[in-house]
Amino acid sequence: MANTMDRRRLLSTAVLGGAGIAGATALGSLAPEAAFAAEPVKIAPGAPDPNFAEGRVTSITGSVVLLAGSDGALHRIQVTNGTSIWKFQPTTFDKLTKGDGMYVRGVRLPDGTLAADSLWANIVNLTAHIASVGRNVLYLDHHGKRLIGHVVPGTTAAVYNGTPAISDVSLLKVGGHVQVIGAWHPDTNEISIATVYAAN
Amino acid sequence: MLQSLAALQSLLVGVVLIWSARIKLLDRRVAGQVGNSALGTLLGPERAVPAYRLLGGVELLLGVALVLPPAPVAEPVAATALAAGFVGYLWYARRVAPGASCGCLSAKATPVTGRSIGRAGVLALAGLFGVAAGGTYWLPALTGAPAASVGLLLAEAALIVALSPEFDSGWLLPLRRLRVRLTSPLRGGSGVPLLASVQQLQLSAAYRQVAALLTSDVREHWLEESWRMVCYSARYQGRPATAVFAVPAAEVAPDRVRVALVDDSTGATLVSLADPAYAS
Amino acid sequence: MAAVTGEVSWFCCGSAWGPCASTGRGACGTCTSGNFQHAWPNTSAACLAITRPDVCGTSLSRRTCGFTHYTTNLCNGARVGTAIADCGPQTDLFCGERACCGSACGTNRIIDLTPAAYSAIASLSTGLRPCSVDTV
Repeated sequence: MANTMDRRRLLSTAVLGGAGIAGATALGSLAPEAAFAAEPVKIAPGAPDPNFAEGRVTSITGSVVLLAGSDGALHRIQVTNGTSIWKFQPTTFDKLTKGDGMYVRGVRLPDGTLAADSLWANIVNLTAHIASVGRNVLYLDHHGKRLIGHVVPGTTAAVYNGTPAISDVSLLKVGGHVQVIGAWHPDTNEISIATVYAAN
Repeated sequence: MLQSLAALQSLLVGVVLIWSARIKLLDRRVAGQVGNSALGTLLGPERAVPAYRLLGGVELLLGVALVLPPAPVAEPVAATALAAGFVGYLWYARRVAPGASCGCLSAKATPVTGRSIGRAGVLALAGLFGVAAGGTYWLPALTGAPAASVGLLLAEAALIVALSPEFDSGWLLPLRRLRVRLTSPLRGGSGVPLLASVQQLQLSAAYRQVAALLTSDVREHWLEESWRMVCYSARYQGRPATAVFAVPAAEVAPDRVRVALVDDSTGATLVSLADPAYAS
Repeated sequence: MAAVTGEVSWFCCGSAWGPCASTGRGACGTCTSGNFQHAWPNTSAACLAITRPDVCGTSLSRRTCGFTHYTTNLCNGARVGTAIADCGPQTDLFCGERACCGSACGTNRIIDLTPAAYSAIASLSTGLRPCSVDTV
């Protein structure tokens, strides 16, 4: 915990530390044109991406996660300090459990291990319409199937037709169309809603 | 009495069939949607539209025959057989093409559910009841006991509507909206969600300058006085680094967003950017 | 085709875990979450009848299964080439919706990428980005 605090203090000082701040214009090497010269992705359209993996967690040993892909492939995922981990919200490695579904992007090492840059556990993105509403629950119709979406006050964000995200979800309408980014509760028809995008 | 109430069933079934035929024969939107309905999945998109129209024609003929005199017992028998056929088709469609549209009583794409199967079942029962009338026409029954007849027909129509997902927008959704208005079951938190800060940092000049260096999603975030700090992993000149953004927590001011890149191994600040106007 | 600007989101396919299990392999029968693929609103007349981008004033060319589009994330300039594997998104449900990065904005949902393709140019947790789509 002390380490976390020290690290956060270091990072805060770096970005807010007053006198040391250089003006954006002072750093020619980071001009937008230079920064935007991102390396194009080299995978052929339609082909599988070796730097991406999808599947369900079969085991977690140390910092290595084994994934069983839905196509039958097995993936070895190496998680590092620099890996971002999302499970309903940005979180830590210890929150991952066996049975989680996951998408991982990283760099495939020569031994076949995927060194993870970003890892999203149980993330779903679906369009649905709101069939009914209960106490902090949205009953969603998703292609004729019923899904239960839990609103988590303080964490769930709502975006109404492209406006900035807010915490207030009370403007959602029964019968309205929504896009939901959420975390699936493994092996149920329930999700926790991270973001709900409401149409007009 | 029972026989005259039974005779009324022909009127009910006839009207429902005519309604159903109207959608199948006249609604132009349907032609585009039948291919995606359960019928399209079962027969193939090319054969689905003619089959759908043919079914509409049969429904119309039978519906009109049921409503108009004379009333041979063959009519309710045929209607019962058709409704029983619907039950079988819907049950099969639900198994073979789950999620496909029913294409029943409305141009609206409505998936086959237990309710649509229940509705076809009610029609089959009404038809069967009609057979029991043994060829009695419905008009004398209606005029003979108007109050009981109208009451029964209304109750049955209400049951059909209640079992029709197609009509939900007319009564069920307004009812649920009213309940939401009265009970306000959705209470989001107050506070600024993380996404609002992420959206704001993505609007900033600071983000656009370092965006291509970022390699991960949000790694961690915390509040520091009036700022929300948001960290990403980054790679700068071949070195692993942390990009830490300071985003105004309580206001929307993308111009004020700052970013620093900190070397992960040494802790040294590699780059620190802020809009010159706010840098001091 | 001149570049079209709009919004990009992502969708899962290929009988994977979660609510994705029922999605199957998409309208083209080839869709897999781990491949560089996308859904396009105008892959056929039947597809267009569902997605209806014209209702939002967006006209998109007819492109069939396997056709390659290149999607650029207007927030960071990252670009990915993907092949059509499904029909979607349902543009008309979110008519007029707008996503922005700085002064770069996109209005109306015009393309859905697989998780592999979307995560190559943006974070899955963002869900929606302004984009431009072209064919070369």
